[in-house]
Amino acid sequence: MQPHYPLDATKPIDPSKLKPLWKQVSQDLRKDLGDPTFDLWFADFRLTSAGPEGVILLAPGSMYLIWVEENFKESLGYTFEKYLTGCGPIRCELATEEELAKDAEKASQKARKKKNEVTELRPRVLVEEISEAKLLERGRAAGLVETFRFDNFVSGENSELAWAAAQAVAVQPGKTYQPLFFHSACGLGKTHLLHGIGWESLRLRPKSKIIFVTAERFANDYIDGIQKSSLSPFRKKYRQADLLLIDDVQFLGRKEGLQREFFHTFNSLSDLHKQIVLASDCPASEINELEDRLVSRFQWGLSVEIHRPGLETRAAILRRKRDDWNMTVSDEIIDSIVERVRGNVRVLEGALIRVAMVATMNDEPIAPEAIDEVLADICGGDESQQIGIKEIKQAVAEHYDLEVQILNGKKRTARVAEARQVAMYLVRRLTDLSLVEIASSFGKDHGTVIYAVKRIKAKCEASAALKSTVELIKRRLVQSSSTVGSKRPQKVSQTRDGLKSSGVFEGGEG
Amino acid sequence: MKFKIDKDVFQDALNQVQHVVSTRTTLPILSNVLLEADELGLKLSTTDLDVTITRRIAADITKTGATTMPARRLASIVRELPTSEIDFEVNEDNAATVRSGPSFFKILGLPSSEFPVIGEFGEAKEFTIDQKLLKEALRKTSYAISTDETRYVLNGVNCLIGEGMLTLVATDGRRLAMVEQDLEFPAGNEIGVIIPTKAVNELQRLLSGSGELKVSLTDSQAGFELNESHLITKLIEGNYPNFRQVIPGEAKYRVTVEREVLHNAVKRVSLLVNEKTNSIKFCFDDHRLAISANSPEIGEAEEVIDVRYDGPKLVVAFNPEFVMAPLRNLDQDEVYIDLIDESSPGVLKIDEPFLYVIMPMRVAN
Repeated sequence: MQPHYPLDATKPIDPSKLKPLWKQVSQDLRKDLGDPTFDLWFADFRLTSAGPEGVILLAPGSMYLIWVEENFKESLGYTFEKYLTGCGPIRCELATEEELAKDAEKASQKARKKKNEVTELRPRVLVEEISEAKLLERGRAAGLVETFRFDNFVSGENSELAWAAAQAVAVQPGKTYQPLFFHSACGLGKTHLLHGIGWESLRLRPKSKIIFVTAERFANDYIDGIQKSSLSPFRKKYRQADLLLIDDVQFLGRKEGLQREFFHTFNSLSDLHKQIVLASDCPASEINELEDRLVSRFQWGLSVEIHRPGLETRAAILRRKRDDWNMTVSDEIIDSIVERVRGNVRVLEGALIRVAMVATMNDEPIAPEAIDEVLADICGGDESQQIGIKEIKQAVAEHYDLEVQILNGKKRTARVAEARQVAMYLVRRLTDLSLVEIASSFGKDHGTVIYAVKRIKAKCEASAALKSTVELIKRRLVQSSSTVGSKRPQKVSQTRDGLKSSGVFEGGEG
Repeated sequence: MKFKIDKDVFQDALNQVQHVVSTRTTLPILSNVLLEADELGLKLSTTDLDVTITRRIAADITKTGATTMPARRLASIVRELPTSEIDFEVNEDNAATVRSGPSFFKILGLPSSEFPVIGEFGEAKEFTIDQKLLKEALRKTSYAISTDETRYVLNGVNCLIGEGMLTLVATDGRRLAMVEQDLEFPAGNEIGVIIPTKAVNELQRLLSGSGELKVSLTDSQAGFELNESHLITKLIEGNYPNFRQVIPGEAKYRVTVEREVLHNAVKRVSLLVNEKTNSIKFCFDDHRLAISANSPEIGEAEEVIDVRYDGPKLVVAFNPEFVMAPLRNLDQDEVYIDLIDESSPGVLKIDEPFLYVIMPMRVAN
């Protein structure tokens, strides 16, 4: 006989009706919770009594009892309500051991509303004073070199834009220029600005996570990760940075796996509006075999070139250095050094050190006239300063047996086109001229120059003949220029190495 | 009783034993630390009648003897003393004078005879075990201990030894954490005990990352001897429920996810959980996991993370704290979440013998 639901539970329910009642409730529960859940928890439960005193279920084991009470009390409650009116609270009891059953009863009557603590996220302190010692400690941990800070960067007309961008990024990371990309020949201050941004950000936001690495270090970390077949520490390290500074990104060229990883790191950081600052010795478009998607991303934010410093800036840099190093060298001497030495900042510093050293050895200030002698091998040592666009065009034209005018003209036969491209390539390589300047001297636009440079680079790799041609022209140019200067350019690099090992330079580009 | 002692050594030892001392106690002697000086050095003991910790340290003893001192007060005095050498002397009235450089303190204690005698071990099963192993296992399970005092058998970690295994389990009825470690024990030592929460916490504090410890177990007491410390605790009497019943069988779907990423995402989303429902939704779909919280009166939050999962779309709701607790206490980079369906318990696993069963909450539609 099918009973009529809901049953009146203000009086104890007749035991014969319990089995069909439980069956009905079970069906509903099964529908509600799904088969696996119902089978796991309720399959062996029995309904033993129901009435105003309450509904008692017998559990097949103590763990069932505990878990059902903890997790399914509500479901049981509203399911029973559908079929019973006026019943007491639902209790579970253990089928066998009376002792445990009593405990369970007590427990079921006591409401357990455990407040669950939500782990606190502490609000981030945005501006915080930080002691110099702490700053140094954190900066060093981030890979920053303490001598490269904003307050000892000398900005001039050559680096105005880069300097302004660096300051903007340090103040508002991730907001203004994403990414910020510096490029210049070596020794002009890219690394200095990169470190400077790091220090300044750290000073403004001591809690932020800053990472400075060279692309090579980034690569090594990546390779380490692969070797240990666990990339997650690597990813964790780089993808949680608030400010990622990467030096020498040209090193990424030709490394496909690394580029892919870098691409993802780049994306995840920029998705989170974290600042990325990159430095390279050439524009992104000229990095060897850099994936297009990376090139476009590098060009996406702000790309700034740092030029060679002009006379006044060179003088300002050296005066600054002199004061920093406590040297007794007069302004006149510095002026005559910068007139003679046009190379990068490292060469300038080398010259200053040498002049100061000679002065100390002789125990008397050096006369401006004597400077030529002291700096004999540094002056004019920088090859690129000696070679102009004219000489290059001439040399190329000579080699291809053409008129120089033709290189500037519109003729596009294979031979002329190649000569023109080689000329553009060499101008780009051997001079400091900007793309626009090069383009205008050939009467073309700068895209043509980029294309020419890329094409010759690719061709050189493919064809040994072209490579040797280019090398030959280059050698001739360099040789003819070094006869103009006083000594061979190799000396310069020796001087640099000497300075490096003496510890004057740390962490610069190689 | 008179001795000279190094401040750091003394302070360190006092810190270690003073946690046991309860702040509200009916017996004043229980807030004291027992100091016993003999030829071997100084012995410090504290007890709350359930858990007792003793620690031996080196001291330059000039006169042996014993006394008790208010533990917290003594610890805070020693912490503040100016020099590294402390002179300590107690007279017959249990008044101690403490001198350190220019400082002088007189502290009134109670006679050592009032200090409860710690029960001696009778016939005990003894074995040694790696400290690090036990520390890790306790860390991975102890957060799941129930705080519901009406279920007193669940107010501790169930520790089972037998069949070449050491099994530790803790549960509160809505989640269960278990470590099952292969371990060779001499035959005939099979035993199952429930170590109470307080002892578990103290033991975790004492254990270090290396060395071994000696464990002695009887039916009602457990002793742990390590380094220079000795912890004795009463065990919870009763039968631990058969926890294997709630561990689901074969899972249908497995999700692989980076632990820290998951932890941080849950932490953030849980900020918008309302106290009534206290659940957040996990939506697994095609290598993505969307974690969301929605409280009509507060607002909503969502975070999407990458996971490895190629099963059908599944939406499960969990209590965020229950998800975070194991994540916080594991160090593996990756964790696996095994699922059957939306209302069956989920199981969190790692590449080591550990599992964590967590009951889903009902998804409100």
